[in-house]
Amino acid sequence: MRRDLEKRIWLYTIAIISIGLVALYSASFQNVRVPLTIFYDQLLCVGVGLVLMYFLGKTDYRKFYDIAYLFYALNVILLFAVLIGGRNALGARRWIEIAGISFQPSELTKLALILMLGRYFSNRRPSLSFGVFNKMQVVFRGLIIPFLLTAVSMFLIFKQPDLGTSLLMFGIFFIMLFVSGLEYSYIFGFLALCLSVVPFAWGILRSYQKDRLLVFLNPNIDPLGAGYTIIQSKIAMGSGRIFGKGWLGGTQNQLNFLPERHTDFIFSVIGEEWGIVGALVLVFFYFLLINCGLNIANQVKDKFGMYVAVGIVSILALQVVINIGMVMGLFPIVGLTLPFASYGRSSFLVFIIMMGFLLNLSKRRTIF
Amino acid sequence: MRIKIIRIVFVISFIIIIAGLFYVQAIRGQYYYDLSVNNRIRIVHLEGWRGNIKDRNGKVLVDNRISYDVMITPQEIKNIKDLFEFLSKALNVDKEELIDTYRRNKFAPFAPVIVAKDIDRMKAIVIEENKYLYPSLFVQESYKRIYPFDKIGAHVLGYVDKVNRAKIERFKEYGYSFRSTMGYSGVEEYYDSYLKGQEGGLQIEVNSQGKQVRLLSIKEPTKGQDITLTIDNDLQLISAQLLEDKNGVIIVMDNENGEVLSMVSSPSYDPNIFSDSKKRKKMSMLFSDVNSPLLNRAVSGVFPPGSVFKAVVAVSGLASKKITMQTTFDCEGFYELGGIRFGCTHVHGIQNLVQSLAHSCNVYYYNLGLLVGADRINQVARSLGLGEPTHIDLPFEKAGYVPSRRQSILFGKRKWYTGDTLNFSIGQGDTLTSPIQFVKMMATIVNDGNEVQPHVIKLIGSLPVDTYSIKRDVKIDKSIFIEVKKGLRAAVSEYSGTAHILDIEGLYVAGKTGTAQSSRNKEHHAWFIGNVISKRKNLSFCVFLEHGGSSQNSTLIARQLLLLMQKEELL
Repeated sequence: MRRDLEKRIWLYTIAIISIGLVALYSASFQNVRVPLTIFYDQLLCVGVGLVLMYFLGKTDYRKFYDIAYLFYALNVILLFAVLIGGRNALGARRWIEIAGISFQPSELTKLALILMLGRYFSNRRPSLSFGVFNKMQVVFRGLIIPFLLTAVSMFLIFKQPDLGTSLLMFGIFFIMLFVSGLEYSYIFGFLALCLSVVPFAWGILRSYQKDRLLVFLNPNIDPLGAGYTIIQSKIAMGSGRIFGKGWLGGTQNQLNFLPERHTDFIFSVIGEEWGIVGALVLVFFYFLLINCGLNIANQVKDKFGMYVAVGIVSILALQVVINIGMVMGLFPIVGLTLPFASYGRSSFLVFIIMMGFLLNLSKRRTIF
Repeated sequence: MRIKIIRIVFVISFIIIIAGLFYVQAIRGQYYYDLSVNNRIRIVHLEGWRGNIKDRNGKVLVDNRISYDVMITPQEIKNIKDLFEFLSKALNVDKEELIDTYRRNKFAPFAPVIVAKDIDRMKAIVIEENKYLYPSLFVQESYKRIYPFDKIGAHVLGYVDKVNRAKIERFKEYGYSFRSTMGYSGVEEYYDSYLKGQEGGLQIEVNSQGKQVRLLSIKEPTKGQDITLTIDNDLQLISAQLLEDKNGVIIVMDNENGEVLSMVSSPSYDPNIFSDSKKRKKMSMLFSDVNSPLLNRAVSGVFPPGSVFKAVVAVSGLASKKITMQTTFDCEGFYELGGIRFGCTHVHGIQNLVQSLAHSCNVYYYNLGLLVGADRINQVARSLGLGEPTHIDLPFEKAGYVPSRRQSILFGKRKWYTGDTLNFSIGQGDTLTSPIQFVKMMATIVNDGNEVQPHVIKLIGSLPVDTYSIKRDVKIDKSIFIEVKKGLRAAVSEYSGTAHILDIEGLYVAGKTGTAQSSRNKEHHAWFIGNVISKRKNLSFCVFLEHGGSSQNSTLIARQLLLLMQKEELL
């Protein structure tokens, strides 16, 4: 049973990666805009990633408990560094170069945040609140402090500017808070408070971020600019119909209609070339993987492990749902990758590391 | 348990996603499939107009006209041979050449390729009439920038060209795309964000014959704002005419508010070359010309100041209180320092400050320079605006350079000798100044220490730009300037003054000549920086001739300038 869960994680991860690679090959096939070199680049990344995943599966994840805060602090420093001296691409500072390797610290933040919140919440005892003072203390320790800790990186990522990842951080925080056992009245009161701030937040958004949100509401307001991507992506998805146009046969893809198709819009390529059948298979694998993660979270005996598992699962689920929703026009385009399938070293490796953690958790879930 | 709730939420989200997939791919699939097969959606870009640029009297200096470009949509081509045969006949251009342009510019089957730019209106009509035979073909209208006065004032106006790759990265957020044109140099660059129109476009659905089936959406292009300059085009014509066949600069500026009435840098270039595809071949000539016609010498050219710098030394002498108006030095035609003779143009005899400025006596300034010291001169030069940009609203301004002892010792390769102070005092050595800096300095002197900000913008749209009209006090005693002005006036009014030929009836003219040594085997630079006051105007001006020989030459041109201005009632 224990071995079985591990095997399933391996199986689903590799299945998803393979489908992603097939799509990526097609996206970069005989094309000038997206050269084939990115495919080989990703292939190399997969090789390195799988080895990394294997070894992480053997390392005790509880070692990460000790360094969780330090790791998070270092990450915040990196995010600072990006804002100050990061590499500029597509109008945003997201990359940083260390020792000749450039990566996006905001991707690493996902992991750091999960570990940090995991350690924080696992140290908190679910306390019943009696009396006003006690209640305040519960709210302060169980909600405000972890929120402020999260908000630091949310803010820094928002400044890059990367609204999508920033909101994703909030999503992770919220789910982990939910699991932490704080009373519902506080949790939903907090959520209501956050939602009431949204109208005011409009003012601090960059103009292109506003454009994207407005375009999401009505793609036709800017069909040539921000709306172009949504329209073309929908056409790609829809025109795949049931069985798709066949591998390397997607006209939207091959004729360059789809912008960013190797990164955020890789799912459109799958939808166009493999139809709803291919899309469902991929979605199904994601679901199975997430299900495995939830099972681990349920069974794991120590609290830190449980929080880490929940965090990993929720980030996976959030990104899958938001990314697929956005290529279909259900969500605004917020620039979140499709886990394991989108091209991008930082994103890919961080998810692989998370899977390594899951493996490890499943191995030790019965050990106390 | 709460994890169970989360599991349920995840399951619901996945069900929504799957439902979405069913809706988009299974239910609406056919619709999207048709869109993708017929493809269908074509984007036609509509260029925004740039705003016009006018002179202070409303005369249009930069305008737009419609040009017709022939485009081909690759995926609509039925018979490539027929198509180009027809085009070659219609346009009277070699077929191979057209095919070559087409091949070079094609990058995607759906993206229209420009094969011929700016064709005649009649040819455009012929092509449009035959469009039903060649569905891939269409004529697109676009706007071309025209500069009716060609070379006149090109450096102030600038030119437009396609955005280059480097700039796209930087300006993407401001709405520039690789299709946009952008101002380069001059007002076209400096005020690009106002002049630029908003790009628009049509998204249309077309059938396989290339005919429009439906207009999906439209975004109207808009025109940029018109800009009115402080420049007076009549004066520009005069200045340009005077500098014909010479390398040099003429600037005329209003002392009241810093409005630049004329700025001409010679040799000039025709900005139409950049926007007219037929003239583009001349472009490389511009870039390789040894006389650098693209350089705006008025703001981007820096030159040794020569004797003009004596005005600065005179101010520093009075400001440091080392001399009074009565202090005199005796000029024997040279100054001896350590066995080396530093020369003067004449044997001037005993000179006071007014006389020394009128006669431009070197010996007086050798003495004065040593008395005041290089540090103090440097300080005064800087507060008069030398060695730093004037922040005129034109791109690529150079700061020039005012040497200082400290810098020379700290960063230089050598020590600062007394001889350096001597050279410094008469504007030789390492000092470099731009013509606009001197015009600004002259205005400061005329305004008794109130500095104006030189600028060329008057109105954006119909709104006056008054942020430039603020005066700043340079914190040097007012009386000093009054004294120095006497010397500058004497150079014109005295019979023996270096610029006596500028003594014109009905005008108050004052100023300083300068002959600056340049590289060893070339002619000297000739300067004249002046102030002219008539009944209506109070102006500062500069006539600078690059390698123009003696300052007599520049003074002569200054005379012609003033006479012509008087004749045209510009004064």
